[in-house]
Amino acid sequence: MPALPSFVPYLIHTLFPPWVRRPTEIGAEIMMTAGGAFIVYWLLKNKKLQWLWNEWLTTVDHKKIGIMYLVAAIIMLGRGGLDALMLRTNLAMPTLHFINASEYNEVFTTHGTIMVFFMAMPLIFALFNVVVPLQIGSRDVAFPRLNAISFWLFAFAAALFNLSFVVGGSPNAGWTAYPPLTELAFNHTVGENYYFVSLLMTGIGTTITGINFLVTILRMRAPGMTFMKMPLFTWATLNTSVLILFAFPPLTIALLESLLDRVAGTTFFGLAHGGMPMMYVNLFWLFGHPEVYILVLPAFGVFSEVVATFSRKKLFGYPSMVLSMTAIMVLAYGTWVHHFFTMGAGPAVNVFFGLSTMLIAIPTGVKVFNWILTMWGGRLQFTTPMLYFLAMIPTFVIGGATGVMLGAVPADYQFHNSYFLVAHFHEVLIGGTVFGLLAGVYYWWPKMFGYKLNDHQGKWAFWLFAGGFWPTFIPQYWLGLEGMTRRMYTYPFGMGWHTLNVISTIGGFIMGAGFLVLVSNVLRSRLHREVDATGDPWDGRTLEWSIPSPAPEYNFAVIPTVDERDWWWEEKQRRQSGEKPAGPKPEDIRPIAIPKNTPVPILLGAAFFLGAFGLVFTWWPVALTGLAGVFGVLIYSWFQYDHYRILSAGEIRETEELLGRLGA
Amino acid sequence: MNGGDEQHERAIEPGFEFISPRFEEPKFPMHQVWGYAASLVLTFAALWMTVNRIMSPSVLLGVVLAMAVGQAALQLGVFMHVRESRGPAWHLVPLGLAFAIGIGLVGMSAWIMLFKSGVS
Ligand code: HEM
Ligand SMILES: [Cu+2]
Repeated sequence: MPALPSFVPYLIHTLFPPWVRRPTEIGAEIMMTAGGAFIVYWLLKNKKLQWLWNEWLTTVDHKKIGIMYLVAAIIMLGRGGLDALMLRTNLAMPTLHFINASEYNEVFTTHGTIMVFFMAMPLIFALFNVVVPLQIGSRDVAFPRLNAISFWLFAFAAALFNLSFVVGGSPNAGWTAYPPLTELAFNHTVGENYYFVSLLMTGIGTTITGINFLVTILRMRAPGMTFMKMPLFTWATLNTSVLILFAFPPLTIALLESLLDRVAGTTFFGLAHGGMPMMYVNLFWLFGHPEVYILVLPAFGVFSEVVATFSRKKLFGYPSMVLSMTAIMVLAYGTWVHHFFTMGAGPAVNVFFGLSTMLIAIPTGVKVFNWILTMWGGRLQFTTPMLYFLAMIPTFVIGGATGVMLGAVPADYQFHNSYFLVAHFHEVLIGGTVFGLLAGVYYWWPKMFGYKLNDHQGKWAFWLFAGGFWPTFIPQYWLGLEGMTRRMYTYPFGMGWHTLNVISTIGGFIMGAGFLVLVSNVLRSRLHREVDATGDPWDGRTLEWSIPSPAPEYNFAVIPTVDERDWWWEEKQRRQSGEKPAGPKPEDIRPIAIPKNTPVPILLGAAFFLGAFGLVFTWWPVALTGLAGVFGVLIYSWFQYDHYRILSAGEIRETEELLGRLGA
Repeated sequence: MNGGDEQHERAIEPGFEFISPRFEEPKFPMHQVWGYAASLVLTFAALWMTVNRIMSPSVLLGVVLAMAVGQAALQLGVFMHVRESRGPAWHLVPLGLAFAIGIGLVGMSAWIMLFKSGVS
């Protein structure tokens, strides 16, 4: 056999070191390769490549971008859930070494990171994209191309992060990635590079999304929609965008400096040369606490829409809802130290942040009371989204109350980093964020696709998911009080932790079953879809329900003038009484400029991916090639001049006619 | 942009004169040339002072911070035309708010990190 060129063994050793040559990794590799090959084969055989490129990969339509976010988020929920079940399996019994300590570190790191950055965030952006422009009566977001760039940066970052499992090795320092554990001296595999680089990439996308929706909501509302007439999901998006705008810069700095510590020999957070590890912690939570409200405010927005629709009543206390949400947004900036009280910054600092933490519970309580009072005297319909709302109330109340307990400084010295904390944040993140986002997905599914998800199967998924939630997380409060700390990979006999851990693991598998039923619910509802021609299957209240489902690419043939808070609800009454015509008048329809598709966003994402991959392995020529690619794509885009095509009034009239939408 | 918007014609409220419309269209962007030169000087002077450690660290920190503030003002004023607008420059109000939040966060971080438990 001729001798291999010397770079081949080097490449094999670098890309596939021993710790990615274990059965799980090789299995995943085979599955990913086979799955990818099958998809390519299917696309080629059915000649779908062109379709995929034109309809999806180059689209700048917010509705399609939203759907792509949704698909990606559900896939990531599957991966993150698989990680979770591996963790729970390892803890089911004392000294059960299903996976070893270092694998356990990797799995809890990827679990947390994926769930926060690659599942919850894209699911939120899916709803922003699908709902907000329709809800404010707009034809698109303010910057459609930037919107697509956000998506592709996220998608390629997610791919890069997941690649770490099979190429080079996963990160292993937790989703918070505290130094000095992330410093090169203590952690010399490429895993943490993957973490920093991919979060930086998706962070750029997130920041752009925040700016985009901020401008969209401030500048592109339908005439007459004053701030106090905006639907609450739009309010939630506005507040979330402001949080993103100020929360992501500190994260970017923390990640960038950590990365420089690893690849450029600086010591921002190292122990030598006056580095300050605690400064990383400070910067991380300066982002991290606003981030938890970035995750939960959209869910609050969904619940506000869902409870009003399915109680068939106006939302109770609209002004106080807006005020409390804005108060949460402001207060969210002032509590971050409660994540590191035990650093010991001194009584003054800790008392200040303990009090500010407890203060946040007040506006949160206001919201819960308003939701309950909305149901009061209403005619309730127990649809799947409504069930998620009802399940949220007790979980979020308990999660908030234990949050206040954690905010009591002396007590937190005991609770901190125990399973009590783990139970708290899962309670608010699953019971608040995930329930809310799932409610939103079920609620707006007909708007995205033109048919409902089957309610019967949806309820099965709900009962398994929400029912499994309680046995999974409630026992963890007690485990924390009995001294079990977070991120333990195993525990000995005789600690008294066994029973509670078994219950928790069983609960976890019930939730896993719920996820599978949810996926089958999606697939089966698609196969047996019952098309909804009304565009308003829930008898909704806000603007998005006034147009056909799925919405035509221009959204509104004629932009409505909004004169009421629940405009569509009132409009329906007026149309029924014959006071108003049943649709846009043909003569009011004008030509509409539609932004053209462009390959720039996906190419930009790919160039970023290449550069990021080079950075992970510190292969500078590759990294620089990626950078050159980024500039190349940007320069190419500067020379594209007409971004719009005109849809003539005739074409729009035809479409509306076909949809049976034209008023007399 | 024809300024026909009714909002643009409303008189500026007293106390809000700083947002009144102003717009400059010079033949040659002399401002920008000067601004560019000044920002280069500020950048390299800071680097030079730090590399050569020409003062005690705490004094140096103060000087570099002051230069950073100058740099930020320069970027916003000269290159981002922050005071210019054909209509009332409403963006100055949230910008002020952003500065307040930013300064608050930086100030509080400094306060938090002043602790003396020797972990730093
Ligand atoms: C009334 C509301 C809340 C209060 C008072 C509160 C309080 C706290 C406190 C004091 C901690 C730190 C405990 C420790 O590390 O010892 C904490 C951790 C955490 N909270 Fe909350 N919280 C509240 C709501 C939420 C919400 C709505 C979310 C997310 C949707 C959330 C997510 C988290 C997360 C992710 C952590 C832990 C992060 C980590 O260390 O990995 N919390 N909370
Ligand atoms: Cu927090």
